[in-house]
Amino acid sequence: MFCSKKKSLEVKRVVKANDREYNEKFQYADNRIHTSKYNLLTFLPINLFEQFQRVANAYFLFLLILQLIPEISSLTWFTTIVPLVLVITMTAVKDATDDYFRHKSDNQVNNRQSEVIIDSKLQNEKWMNVKVGDIVKLENNQFVAADLLLLSSSEPHGLCYIETAELDGETNLKVRHALSVTSELGEDISRLARFDGIVVCEAPNNKLDKFTGVLSWKDRKHSLNNQKIILRGCVLRNTSWCFGMVIFAGPDTKLMQNSGKTKFKRTSIDRLMNTLVLWIFGFLVCLGIILAIGNSIWENQVGGQFRTFLFWNEGEKNSVFSGFLTFWSYIIILNTVVPISLYVSVEVIRLGHSYFINWDRKMYYSGKATPAEARTTTLNEELGQIEYIFSDKTGTLTQNIMTFKKCSINGRIYAGEVHDDVGHKKAITKEKESVDFSVKTQAERTFQLFDHSLMESIKLGDPQVHEFLRLLALCHTVMSEENNAGQLIYQVQSPDEGALVTAARNFGFIFKSRTPETITIEELGTLVTYQLLAFLDFNNIRKRMSVIVRNPAGQIKLYSKGADTILFEKLHPSNEGLLSLTSDHLSEFAGEGLRTLVIAYRELDDKYFKEWHKMLEDANAATDKRDERITGLYEEIERDLMLLGATAIEDKLQEGVIETVTSLSLANIKIWVLTGDKQETAINIGYACNLLTDDMNDVFVISGNTAVEVREELRKAKENLFGHNRSFSNGHVVSENKQQLELDSVVEETITGDYALVINGHSLTVYDPWFITLFNIVYTSLPVLAMGIFDQDVSDKNSMDCPQLYEPGQLNQLFNKRRFFICMAHGLYTSLALFFIPFGAFYNVVGEDGQHAADYQSFAVTMATSLVIVVSVQIALDTSYWTVINHVFIWGSIATYFSILFTMHSNGIFEVFPNQFPFVGNAWHSLNQKCIWLVILLTTVASVIPVVAFRFLKMHLYPSLSDQIRQWQKAQKKAKPTSSRRPQTRRSSSRRSGYGFAHQEGYGELITSGKNMRVKNSPPTSGLEKTLYNSTNWIENLCKKTTDTVNSFSQDKAVKL
Amino acid sequence: MEKEFHHHPSRMPDNSAMKQQKLPAHQLHFSARVVLTIFFATGVFCFCMGVILILSAQSIQEIEINYTYICENCAKLRENAFNFDQKCTCSVPFYLQENMEGDVYMYYKLYGFYQNHYRYVLSRSNNQLVGKDIMDVEDCAPFKVSQNKTPIAPCGAIANSMFNDTIILSYTLKSSVHIQVPMLKTELTWWTDKYVKFQNPSLINLSDRFVGTEKPPYWQAPIYELDTSDPGNNGFLNDDFIVWMRTAAFPTFKKLYRRLYRVQYFMDGLPAGNYSFNISYNFPVTRIKGEKSVVLSTLTWSGGSSLFLGLAYTVTGAFLWLASFALMAIHMTMKKKKLSYRR
Repeated sequence: MFCSKKKSLEVKRVVKANDREYNEKFQYADNRIHTSKYNLLTFLPINLFEQFQRVANAYFLFLLILQLIPEISSLTWFTTIVPLVLVITMTAVKDATDDYFRHKSDNQVNNRQSEVIIDSKLQNEKWMNVKVGDIVKLENNQFVAADLLLLSSSEPHGLCYIETAELDGETNLKVRHALSVTSELGEDISRLARFDGIVVCEAPNNKLDKFTGVLSWKDRKHSLNNQKIILRGCVLRNTSWCFGMVIFAGPDTKLMQNSGKTKFKRTSIDRLMNTLVLWIFGFLVCLGIILAIGNSIWENQVGGQFRTFLFWNEGEKNSVFSGFLTFWSYIIILNTVVPISLYVSVEVIRLGHSYFINWDRKMYYSGKATPAEARTTTLNEELGQIEYIFSDKTGTLTQNIMTFKKCSINGRIYAGEVHDDVGHKKAITKEKESVDFSVKTQAERTFQLFDHSLMESIKLGDPQVHEFLRLLALCHTVMSEENNAGQLIYQVQSPDEGALVTAARNFGFIFKSRTPETITIEELGTLVTYQLLAFLDFNNIRKRMSVIVRNPAGQIKLYSKGADTILFEKLHPSNEGLLSLTSDHLSEFAGEGLRTLVIAYRELDDKYFKEWHKMLEDANAATDKRDERITGLYEEIERDLMLLGATAIEDKLQEGVIETVTSLSLANIKIWVLTGDKQETAINIGYACNLLTDDMNDVFVISGNTAVEVREELRKAKENLFGHNRSFSNGHVVSENKQQLELDSVVEETITGDYALVINGHSLTVYDPWFITLFNIVYTSLPVLAMGIFDQDVSDKNSMDCPQLYEPGQLNQLFNKRRFFICMAHGLYTSLALFFIPFGAFYNVVGEDGQHAADYQSFAVTMATSLVIVVSVQIALDTSYWTVINHVFIWGSIATYFSILFTMHSNGIFEVFPNQFPFVGNAWHSLNQKCIWLVILLTTVASVIPVVAFRFLKMHLYPSLSDQIRQWQKAQKKAKPTSSRRPQTRRSSSRRSGYGFAHQEGYGELITSGKNMRVKNSPPTSGLEKTLYNSTNWIENLCKKTTDTVNSFSQDKAVKL
Repeated sequence: MEKEFHHHPSRMPDNSAMKQQKLPAHQLHFSARVVLTIFFATGVFCFCMGVILILSAQSIQEIEINYTYICENCAKLRENAFNFDQKCTCSVPFYLQENMEGDVYMYYKLYGFYQNHYRYVLSRSNNQLVGKDIMDVEDCAPFKVSQNKTPIAPCGAIANSMFNDTIILSYTLKSSVHIQVPMLKTELTWWTDKYVKFQNPSLINLSDRFVGTEKPPYWQAPIYELDTSDPGNNGFLNDDFIVWMRTAAFPTFKKLYRRLYRVQYFMDGLPAGNYSFNISYNFPVTRIKGEKSVVLSTLTWSGGSSLFLGLAYTVTGAFLWLASFALMAIHMTMKKKKLSYRR
């Protein structure tokens, strides 16, 4: 509480490294977090306060107060307090358990160990004890404890790699880069402990991609940006250690700032229920007023005299005042109209459903041994009403695994028909475990797709094939590494390239190692080292990358790979024949949903290259128009290319994506895909997983960089489009990311059908006007719950087969205001029948023994019994799926009713509490009368039969889809079981894929500068040193280029296909 | 990674029928035939039941004599509360045309008496009536204590307003020979009322048991002198008192007053002839714009059932028949339509 006050004042933060005393002055929050809402002391007041904010609970409290006024009190106090206490305790218990788990997870997080430099020594410290200004050591695969300023790392130049999946859901690795001054500190503890830089930076905020600050150290100032910050929630990857200084801790971290208060989410049912409860209040007040007026009139005409006779010493009373009192009395009596227990029932049903979700074996993913998990128990009926799904692409639709599927070399398709055999599939699941940065070797070992013709061509020494594979082995940004076992490990920046290099390796062209100036590959057993003369990096406009190498024989060659649209224009005219053939092949590949690349090369003569190289160096040194000149030079040399062929990579879709997407769209759910990919890739994937189909002629791709742009484009899209299938391409929408995390699970939960809402208003009829029984809740709630939880109107298989069933839920057809009024009318009818039939029958009745039978107590017993039976029959009719539990609950509740009735009317209980249980002997006496059973029977028939007739008519005249399916289901049971009806063929389309590299620009520079190579691997050469010197600000370039690319995305927005 | 992968095979949810929602179940599906059969059957049942009920209701012999205004002078006298200690009797002659055979019951019937008034219903002390604590008058407002603060026994508005007319039926055997028809005043109450719900406080002398209490203000005699002829029928155990205390559900009600003692002339019930009710008129119904009458009635298998239930059953049965015909017609036309679609 105190710190939040202070926080609002904080405009900038000053942190001094290794100086706790100094930092304590500012009272920054420490690293302890708590997401829990209550503690032992505050639980009761806060929770009660929260609960009484609910309309129904507040109403009952109000009632309780009213009942304390003897003039008004018409019911004994326990009729109100028992349900109220019941409801409140149940909710409180649920809240308490929820909070207990929050406490537990908080504790677990707070007690995680981290290594902190204290007193010049590296000591273990719990997360919660980490303070701002501390220097923390992180090891590989560890979670980051707080927002850190990266000081140094195990990697050269203070690089480190982090995974930000917890923050933004992106699984690809990101690079962070320490200041060069601090990266020199290395892992020298004593030097780190002496580090006394002061960071002045922005106040805590929730912007994940922004940081501004200044580090003052040794009388120099260094500006800090987001590239130097590692945020809490990230995981360190591929970096054996790093040191960082804590800038923001605990609640001040960007992660926690983003999480905010857990908002109470309401489902549409909740909102509807609240409205309905308000209406019921209105209805109640109206009823109260009508009855009060009636009372005044009666009091005036008859009651006045009667009362003076009965209560002679009370004297005259104003009939209006009496009416006023009666109004409040009725408000109390009629309290059962307000469905307080409905809230509880709904909550219990939700809880039950969420357990069913967790338990469902069909939603269990064996690959990761994860069952489905309902993260919240309050929202799950919304699952039956989804209209839009926002989905991530990578990891959700696709596995982010690229497999080399096919290639076309010199006009011939190789590896055309390769089936996924079991071994292959296994490899994929294993591979998925690994981080995409380093594809593990076992994947390669089981990589076996080759048809023998390609192997034979290689053996025969077909020069084109050799050149093709050589190109794959040379033209890429992959880094190689040998692990302890001496195996080659590729660190790939984009999985596409990994797939290509791995493919080449499997065909005998093994990429071994690289230095900034050389690339060593093993060509069919012989080691060949190529000199890397130039690296023409990829960018989004070029859509290609090239390398210029000199082979040991001295030949200079330019190898290029890129998007077909671009490279075909760069080909030498002599390639025309091959071009059309390859083009056909590309279409074929694309039709199978494969991502394609065109491969070409060019032989250069020495002189030409030297001239060009000189010009390039000049351009590099130039200050103005540097980029344009370089681009021009690239264009200049990448022409007259000789076509080699094309590759086809499969971006593996997640299992079942196509089926899921198909049924989702059949269920009329609109899907939005969020992706950071290139538009072409996104569209391609869209087609691959049936998100987009050929008969949609308007496809709108929305790409925008800022929220404003996106909004603007959405508006345009709305104007342009009638169809609803939009693919949404955006790199930087953070707020959407949060939603998407939750929704991921939804996509996996392919079973969508049978949670459609069964909590219709049936329970409302139970509480309809007039009969007051304290035990309504006990008698009738359990069968309703059982029905709500266990009912399946359509079998799971059929609901999967028939996604159209989903639509009524979306359209709120199962529970809406109209339905509510029908229920109300039904309830009204039932209550009239329940009152007037016994009324008429009792009017002049005498018992079988001649005794008076129309007494008030017998009447009450008759009505209560009729009510319970009518309600039970009603529920029985509504239950379409009778399990043991339904039987137990329905019969059980009737049995319970009778046993409670007889107990309450027994001699024993009367003798103990004569004033509380005056109904002694009543049940026994009344239920012994034939006449009373006849009344009960007639009441039941009269209230149930119209409902049956109504349903019969509805089913015959306006059958709903689920009715039809039920009928079909019944017919099916008689016939032989049929197999699943949905064809599972893969889409074939003539669409041409426009693949661009799925990777970032800038890695070329990283390679030629040797920045990301370990020192031991790269013998220092003069060239390296030169480039090193040249490219101190390479990472700034990288960043700049990234934003350039992003901007260029937004320029070519609104692509119509 | 791979190790983790093998570590969690147990997270697979249990394959129990409960958890997989595969509990053995049968689905209720009402086909048209079933629904129509149910309609027809219920219709037949209701109709027959209705006819039986009507017939048996008609077999009951009942005679009701409203004596509110026949004894007009008494009624006038009672309108003034100050005349409460003046006695007033009146004789109401009537002629019974047919023999009333079997057990005959005598009721008093009140019109416009709101025994179901919610404050009235609550104004009693079961604790007192069961003899546990004679001084417990907690819930009896406004008749808890008398003016000199002694607790009232029996307390409360119900007890205070007890019906206190005495009705004697006499039979004119021959002209000018009147004999009193023998009547029983036992077994008028529920067994549980007589033996559980109402008990006298345990002391040998009944009047001693009510020491320290006062009679209700409207009463003429204290509780222990309700029946001077039968000392056992006094205190809280008086049958008339117990009958009164079982409050009626509606403002018009009849309560059992006496049963015919079937001896001598009355072995087979009441023979046809001249009778008269000799009434000691105490209960002031005109003050509340009510009426009172005395009823003689026989019973049938279902008690003294009224016509209503029979009629209601008949009507329901008829409706069900109509409905089932209508539904059948709809079903047939729909079926035809479907068939024609198929063709």
